[in-house]
This record gives sequence, structure tokens and C-alpha cells, in this order.
Amino acid sequence: MTNSLNDMRHAKSLIFIGSNAAEAHPISMQHILHAKEVNNAPIIVVDPRFTKLAAKASDFVRIRPGTDAAFMLGLINVIIQNGWQDKEFIETRVAGYEEMAVVAADYTPEAVEEITGIPASETVRIAKILATNRPTSLTWCMGGTQHHIGSSITRTFCILQLVLGNMGKSGGGTNIFRGHDNVQGATDMCVLSHSLPAYYGLSDGSWKHWCRVWDVDYDWMVSRFKEKKWMNAKGFTLSRWYEGVLQEEKIEQYTPLKAVIQWGCGSNSNSQYHRVKRALDMLDLYVIIDPFPTMAAAACESDNVYLLPCSSQYETSGSVTSTSRQIQWRHKIVDPIAGCKDDYEIMAELVKRLGFADKFYKNIKQVPEDITLELGRGSLTIGYNGQTPDRIKKHMANWHTFDIETLQAKGGPCDGEYYGMPWPCWTTEHPGTPILYDISKEVTKGGLPFRNRFGLEKKYDSSGRTENQLAAVGVANPGCEVQGGYPEFKDVVPGTNWKTDLSQKTLKEALRRGMAPFGNARARCVVWTFPDQVPIHREPLHTPRPDLIEKYPTYEDKPNHYRVHTRYKSEQKPDLVKEFPLVLTTGRMVEHMGGGAETRSNKYLSELQPEMYAEVNPMLANNMGIRDGEEIWIESPEGGKIRVKAKLTERVDEKTIFMPYHFGGVLMGRSLAGNYPKGHEPYVIGEAANVCTNYGYDIITQIQATKDGLCKVSKA
Amino acid sequence: MARVKFLCDVDRCIDCGGCVVACKEGHHIPVGVNRRRVITINQGKPGEKSMSVSCMHCADAPCIAVCPVDAIYQREDGIVLVSKKTCIGCGYCFMACPFGAPQFPSDKVFGARGAMDKCTFCAGGPADTFSEEEKNLYGQNRIAEGKVPLCAGMCATKALMAGDADQVSKIYSERVFKRGSGSNAWGWDKAYNKK
Repeated sequence: MTNSLNDMRHAKSLIFIGSNAAEAHPISMQHILHAKEVNNAPIIVVDPRFTKLAAKASDFVRIRPGTDAAFMLGLINVIIQNGWQDKEFIETRVAGYEEMAVVAADYTPEAVEEITGIPASETVRIAKILATNRPTSLTWCMGGTQHHIGSSITRTFCILQLVLGNMGKSGGGTNIFRGHDNVQGATDMCVLSHSLPAYYGLSDGSWKHWCRVWDVDYDWMVSRFKEKKWMNAKGFTLSRWYEGVLQEEKIEQYTPLKAVIQWGCGSNSNSQYHRVKRALDMLDLYVIIDPFPTMAAAACESDNVYLLPCSSQYETSGSVTSTSRQIQWRHKIVDPIAGCKDDYEIMAELVKRLGFADKFYKNIKQVPEDITLELGRGSLTIGYNGQTPDRIKKHMANWHTFDIETLQAKGGPCDGEYYGMPWPCWTTEHPGTPILYDISKEVTKGGLPFRNRFGLEKKYDSSGRTENQLAAVGVANPGCEVQGGYPEFKDVVPGTNWKTDLSQKTLKEALRRGMAPFGNARARCVVWTFPDQVPIHREPLHTPRPDLIEKYPTYEDKPNHYRVHTRYKSEQKPDLVKEFPLVLTTGRMVEHMGGGAETRSNKYLSELQPEMYAEVNPMLANNMGIRDGEEIWIESPEGGKIRVKAKLTERVDEKTIFMPYHFGGVLMGRSLAGNYPKGHEPYVIGEAANVCTNYGYDIITQIQATKDGLCKVSKA
Repeated sequence: MARVKFLCDVDRCIDCGGCVVACKEGHHIPVGVNRRRVITINQGKPGEKSMSVSCMHCADAPCIAVCPVDAIYQREDGIVLVSKKTCIGCGYCFMACPFGAPQFPSDKVFGARGAMDKCTFCAGGPADTFSEEEKNLYGQNRIAEGKVPLCAGMCATKALMAGDADQVSKIYSERVFKRGSGSNAWGWDKAYNKK
């Protein structure tokens, strides 16, 4: 989130696309409804379903799954055609605007209607609402990202906000709600296969930086790998790790995967789950570390699985990072119940047995405070260094002194600081950055320009135009030494830059001069390293509209995409819709969480939502002779087949099936209840929706496309 | 003396069920017994509205009027409570209540009744305050601790309010005032046939 949940109270309009905040983020709703009630802000919800959030909206726009980019480009086009864009913002702080506008011009309201199903007049009407109610807060969630063009879709959201001049402003911003209380923290620590913590990447320089932070010998680190090249190679992703076991797709690794540890991971959130299950059975070793047995604990049916019961969040302590980039301290309430260990203890035992505890714990004497200190010391890219455990705990203890509207403390021991010191928090005196890219505040007081990350100038391929990538003259935070754009800081300490200078002299020098350590540049609409330099619509891999494939085709197949050969063009088959005529989309329900291991083990939540179901429009159901509550089979093109109850509702249209993805414990019509450790079966079990989610992965991130697949339905 | 009331702001209730689960978890209510429920109308269609409902602690409570053994009584602050030791489980109160608030144990076949259970406004029951007996039969006594009921305390959007009726009504009228005219005003769409 560029802004915070609280800051959404200042929005004059809000647009949600691919987000059902009322169910997935109920706490956020008090701020959203505040904006609606006090500012009379229109709430626009763009979704394939009439969600519980839509019930609270002023305007609901039903969209065909996977066509979000087309709608956004349509809005951008209407805004430009009517001269509603923020011209000053674009001229001074945006790069590649002209090249983007040429692409957006193809997306007329009529073209958008053809792709998305949204009437042309609605696109124009929504554009006008956004233009006349600024600033707009824009929120997306998995509904925006889980597509094979997810990375393009999310870019169109950002570009819309740039065109409207809504970035770096209170009440504006791109506000992507994170799905758990510490997902932002997990992301910042890059618990991912393509980057070291804090988005440093996998280059040699990045490894050397972190080895300095950890105080371990770089050559020793190199020696841990089979060959050095694997240190710099992106690994398998969460979406497709099982291909490394099954080897049904071509993989780029010297060996198949043999052992897997899943730590706090409900594996039934993986698409094509019936294939995941086969991989689980083939592993030599499979370890699940979780407070409750996950579906995988029952689905894995060979003698290779170990369950390590770990404590819940109430039985341990440490720092967590919220969706608003705020770092909070979680205090332990009770000791872990018998038989459980907390995560730190499990990690310590593992590291000890692997034989490098001396190196692992070199800087860590006191757990967890020293962990927070060490990760902060290294995470300079995102300014995690100013939030020391002492400061975090002080904020928690003085919670009441922070203002609900601005998140700033008024008086008291934290006077002037922002709650949780939202990152970047450049020094131990810095108050935190409540709104990213806000040039109305001094950098030392939480202001920031856009980051200079992509060079000083660029000649665009599409137009041949060369553009300065730094911000225009006159764009600067108050108190800044340079009245205009400037590059990122380096060589303050020779041979280092602001990201690698562990003495933090560079950061302090920049702040002393009123400047941002990462420079002052333009936000770019053109990404020259991506296959779509300006984002465009591409039909979902499995599309219900084969007539649109020719005009909006997918990408060429991509070999070695995170070590797996990934199909695009060869997978987009026009005939598929004949056998699988319905669009399948998935999402959350408010009562359950993730794979549901925890919530389905809670009797009250289980009572409220005791059964797996699929939402079917009454028109479709009546045409197929399906009655409310009747059992149906849902089948995917990949051979996944699940038996669930039909829930007749107009939340979905007659071309779409919706399923919640929290259920597990039943696999393709077969109950796995007997496979759970005795006495630990969840109160409710059900088919996992992800058995039916389709093949399809984002071209950049490889996130799974669970929101726009195809399926067929039959009576059970 | 102030009179307590619940008020559910239907423009804020998002049907999350947090109030229901807070109540059950806090008072250890058996599965199948619901002191509070969220009712949703027009589900999945324009005009969908949700409302959290429990015992309304009526000023002139029909349950008290019909109880043949006088097991139900009203405190001075308006909270309606039941004595489970007096209750004969006949179900008359259930027939009289317009909101379906009285609950009966559900672990027997249909028709079997034990003592009636319902929302206590988190005020315990006739047993000694903070006694084990009070806790076992009626749940926590948060009112005696000076706390708001669990359901209202949990509410994510502050839709559900509980407390002194004058205060609750003041907060609600301030909200309505802030919403002003236009799309947020109650009845606006009906009166002017637009959003």
C-alpha cells in the first residue's frame, strides 16, 4: 500500500477491482465506510461477482474475469480524450506517458465493451466519477493479480492513478490489501525464490551485501551451493514447485526436488491441486510445520510425511509488518501448549542439526529482538533500519497517543512519529513514511519523491523518443537542496551506494541535505524489460471468447520460467470452451482463512460455514436442472474433478461459477478424514476448489491464474 | 437510570459474523445455540442489507408477559434476563418473541427443550455476580466489569452499538447527520428514485 488503511478515510472516491474487502479485510471497512459517509465518496466495485463489498458500494460494475487491463485502459483513454488527466503531474513526475497514451487509444469504450462485457456508457460514466471526485483510492487484491497477465493488469491500475495525479497524495494511492497480518513482512523479507531479503535480488553484489550483514564469509556461502551459478538463478516458485517433483513438464535443474518443507502454508491454495497431491506422494521427505494439520497432511499418502506442531501467534513474540507498512510488536500471551514449539525454536533445532548454527546466530543472541535488528540493518532498500525493537515496543505501549486520521502521535513519548514507523524509516530519528511518494512533506518528516531506479534517460523502442527519467525542475520535497530531479546516492562512502553502505552514512547524508537516498525520478508507464512494454489486454489462456484470441493473443511459450517450461501460445486452444463452457473463479469467504486448516478447526467458524459449495446463477441452474443444495461435479481441463453442493445465487452471472478456496480434506469425491492424525481432524472438511483451478501462470511473476479458468458442470 | 439498547447500523453491517463468534467464544455457547445472528436480505442482489440481531431487551418484553413460571425478568437498566433454574423449557417465550431470540439446547431431537438461553447483554444472570455458577449458566458478566458487550466490542465497522440508549442514539444521529443528503441518506433512493 502506498497509503494506509486509515488514510483511506480521506479519499473522495474509492475504486476496488478484484478485491472483496468486506469479506477478506473486514477491519478495513470502518475506514472505507468512513470515507463513504463523511466525504460522500462514491465506492466503485469492479468484480465478476456481486460481492458483500458490492453490497456496500454506490456503483457496481460486473466484469468478465481476466479483462481488468482492458477496462483500466478504457478508463485511461476516456480520461485522456476528455482532457481529465492531471497534466502538471504527468509533465513533471511521469515518464513514458505519450507512448502509453498511444496504446490506450485503442481501448475505446466500445472496444472495452466487446472485451469486458461492461457497457460503453458505464466506462464513460465511471471515468467521469473518478475525474470529478479526486483523490481516488484504488485497491486491488488477488482478483487483479492471479491471471497470466497479472503483472500487466496491476500496472494498468498504477498508470490510471498516475494519469489522474492521485499518487503521493492523502486519500489517493494504490492500496493493495495484504491477506494476512504479516504478509507485507513476509514479502519484505522476500520469502521467495528470486530475491534475497528486502528486494536485493540474486546478483553477486546482493549476496555480498547480505553476507556482510550476516557477518559470514562470502566464499563459504558460495561453497554451500552445488555450483555458483545456482546462487544467481531464480528457483522454483510456490505456484509450481511440484513440477520439480513430477517432471511432467521440462525442468531446468540438475535434479528433481526430493524434499519439501512447508512452514505455515496451506498447500491447497495451489492450483491444479490433484497434481500437487501426486507430487507430495513422490517426495522422499515432506515436512509440514503448522499449528493445525493442513490438507496436505491428509492428502500425502506415502510414508514420507512429518508434522511438526508449532505454536500459534499468541504463543510467541516478534515484529510483524502490516498492510500499511507499519511494524508492530506481537507480545506472547501464553506459553505454547504441550507438544508444540514456537517457530524460533524449530528453526534453531533445524539449524543446529544442519551444522551451521555458529554462523546462523552470529549476530543473534536475544531472540527475537536481535532478529529484528539484524534484518533491519540489512534492509536499507526499504528503510527497515529505523524501526528498532525498542521503538516498535514504545509505539505499541503508547498506542492511544496516535491520531486515527493521520496516524501521527500528538504529544507523548512518540510525538510527531507515525504509528508503526511505516517503511521507509531511514534512521532511528525518522518518523516513518505514512504516504509513499508524497512531495508535500520534508523527507526527514516522512516525505518522498519517486525512486530513481531505471537510469537517467531512455530512448523508447515504440516512438524513438528520448526522455529524461528524473523529475522535472521544481519537483522536490520542502527543504531539499536540489529543486528538481536527482539520481540515487552513491560513493558517499567510496565503493558503496545508499543500499549497500552498512555504516548508513549515505542515508544520513541524503537526509541532512533534505533529499531522498534513492533519488527523485519519474514514475514510468513503459517497462522496457517486460514483453509488454506498455500493458495491454491479452485473452485468458483458457478463454470463453476464442473469437478474441486473434486480436488479443497470449505470449509465446516461455522456457525456463523459474526453472519450469511454461506454455502460453500452445496452451491457448480456441476449442476448449466447447467442452468447458463456464468460467471458473475463486475467492475468499469471511469465516475461513487461506487453506482453512486453522478456521475449519474452530467449531464456531465451522458452524457458520460448514460446507463447501459452488455459486451457480439460478438461470444456469434451472437450464441444467440443478436445484439449490444439490450435488454437482465440477471438472477442469486438467482432469481435476470435485463434487460440491450448488448454491443458487445471483452473485455470479450465468456464465460464471464461483468457489471459495478454503476447504480441504476431501479429494475428488474421496474423503481423507481418516488420514489426519487421530483427534486432529478439522471440524469440517470439503473438496478443495483448487483441484479445479486451471493451468496458467503470469509471464513475469509466475503467479497462478486461479481467477479466469474454464470448467464444466454436471449433476452428481 | 439509563436504559440499555442495541442498535445495528445496517449501512455499516458487512455480514462478517464477528459479533456471533465473539459472543459464542466469550461465553462458551454450545454449537447450535445462537444468542446472536446476522440476517441478510436480498443476498447477492442490489439492495443487499445485513443486520445483527439478538434479544432486543424490549421495554415491554413479550417473553416476560407469557412466561408461566416468571423465570424471565427485567433489570432496572432494561436488560432482560432468565433464571435457568426456574425455567421449565416450555418455549412460550420463543413463540412470543418477534425476533427468535430465545434459544434451546439443540443436542436433542426436535421438540426436546432444556432451560432457555439468550443474550444477557453480557450481564451474567441471577446467580451471584462473578460466581462460578453465573459463569457456567450464563457466561461472562462484562457489564459488572464496566465493559461493553463482546459483540459490539468486536464489531469491525462499529455497526453494532450497545449501551445507554441515549448515548447510542446520539452516536447514530451524529452519523446520520454526517451522511447528509445524497446517496448516503436513508431513503434517498426511494424518495428520488435514484442512487
